Amino acid sequence: MDLVLQLLVNGVINGSHYALLGIGFGIIFGPTRITHFAYGPIFAVGAYGCWASVAWLGLPVPAAALAGVLAAAGVGALSYLWLYRPFERRGSSHLVVLIASLGLFITLENLIGIVFGTDTKVVPGLSPDIFLWGPVVVTSIQLWQVAALAGIALALFAFLRRSRHGKALMAMTDNGEMAQIIGIDTVRVSLTAFAVGSAVAAVPAILILLKEGATPHMGFIAVFMAFVAVIVGGIGSFRGAIIGGYAVGIVENIGMWKLPTEWQSTIAFVVLFLILLFKPSGLFGRRVR
Amino acid sequence: MLEATGVAAGYGRKRIVHGVDLAVGKGEIVLVLGHNGAGKTTLMRTLFGLLPAAEGTIRYEGRDIAGRRPAENVADGIAFIPQGHGIFRTLSVRDNLDLGAFVEPDKSLLPERLDTVFRMFPILKERASQIGGTLSGGQQQMLAIGMALMHAPRLVILDEPSIGLAPNLVDKVMEAIAYINRTMGTTILMVEQNVKYSLPIASRVAVLKTGRKIYDGPPDPLHDRVELMKLF
Ligand SMILES: Nc1ncnc2c1ncn2[C@@H]1O[C@H](COP(=O)(O)OP(=O)(O)OP(=O)(O)O)[C@@H](O)[C@H]1O
Ligand SMILES: [Mg+2]
Repeated sequence: MDLVLQLLVNGVINGSHYALLGIGFGIIFGPTRITHFAYGPIFAVGAYGCWASVAWLGLPVPAAALAGVLAAAGVGALSYLWLYRPFERRGSSHLVVLIASLGLFITLENLIGIVFGTDTKVVPGLSPDIFLWGPVVVTSIQLWQVAALAGIALALFAFLRRSRHGKALMAMTDNGEMAQIIGIDTVRVSLTAFAVGSAVAAVPAILILLKEGATPHMGFIAVFMAFVAVIVGGIGSFRGAIIGGYAVGIVENIGMWKLPTEWQSTIAFVVLFLILLFKPSGLFGRRVR
Repeated sequence: MLEATGVAAGYGRKRIVHGVDLAVGKGEIVLVLGHNGAGKTTLMRTLFGLLPAAEGTIRYEGRDIAGRRPAENVADGIAFIPQGHGIFRTLSVRDNLDLGAFVEPDKSLLPERLDTVFRMFPILKERASQIGGTLSGGQQQMLAIGMALMHAPRLVILDEPSIGLAPNLVDKVMEAIAYINRTMGTTILMVEQNVKYSLPIASRVAVLKTGRKIYDGPPDPLHDRVELMKLF
């Protein structure tokens, strides 16, 4: 019983991480419909931006984290302007954009490897607090993961419902052409989506850096889980991405009860597979036109 | 008000519209007719800026607007109501109407406009919190027109507003368009296949055939079925 409780708590913690990844991915995918695989290495840029600011510039961790978020947002925005936008302008097919995105994935990942080396980078002198709640063990960083989701979800919800840019983003997620027709500058909305989505991705990346360190390949599992969360929850649904993330996190950890740990990412894949098979629009999906 | 000369447009290398001249005077209701695939939608999308014009000039209130983005045209008082669902299907009626006024810098004008829209289409007021995609076809078309009115356009371009509507609704929609034209002085450029209801409100008619204009003049001669058939 204690084990199940611990696994459930781990599920919620991992779920928060996946949900954050899903929100960031979804905020980009919703309005632009770009399958942005390079979201993975941009996630890594967030972690490395933070690490470099601590290790090279000697910034304190909170300031370094902010630097990481800004670095990811910047690279994300540039990836839209320099890579995706030219294809969009030419009216390229989804497949072409997909391949471009894979190209950017590989390029960015290699670039990170060249600049930082391929060894695992950790933030020195960091010892997270450990809390014992009855039979359950959690660390301060795990609590940060849960808090980060709650804070960012609330902030984004307010942004989407209240701000002009947020409303434009929602409108474009619903129907890009209609957004243009009512006078929304869709290029600007896409740019905003890339900047905001990448900034969101940097937060879980930085928490992973603090928790277990960063490697150039850390982005692969991140974009995969983001994708799973969005598909499971339903494309175009903000709430869906959160619930999708939690669903995967909890199922995955409860699975550990009976299965060896090596199966963990296979479970996510099986969930994805089942959803695609039986509910292709996702748990909260709005029917795509 | 709107003056297009020699407009050519298409998709990729495929030309659909070949050198069409079209003039819309202030306060007119100009009707564009033509067979399926004649290029009516392509022409409207080009005039509004959703598609680039390959050739020709487009002037609006004397200004050259060819190559301008839709956002600039909307801000300059042009509204476009596309064929099919001209609404945001996952958002509420109220959110749709608010978005219709996206480009309006002076938000203090909006309550009054909302009132006007609700007076014209009371059903939208009743359904204000309903999700757009769950409205009936007729209600969706009313919402699309309402959204356009929310930024008080001087020129409204409509692409087949009656498509898929029951005859009594077509009559209602045409009546609403005529009413907007009459009471607000809004100029209308409308594609419409349903000649029975649209001809009576038109001040002028242009007919397209495979991307070329083959008739431009008063609607009266077209009331005669035989004359009309000849053009198709
Ligand atoms: N996005 C597109 N890409 C390529 N060809 C297109 C596209 N949209 C329309 N066409 C083609 O352009 C031609 C004209 O289409 P258009 O929609 O302008 O006709 P229409 O007069 O509006 O017809 P309808 O009365 O059926 O709405 C058609 O042959 C159509 O197949
Ligand atoms: Mg058409």
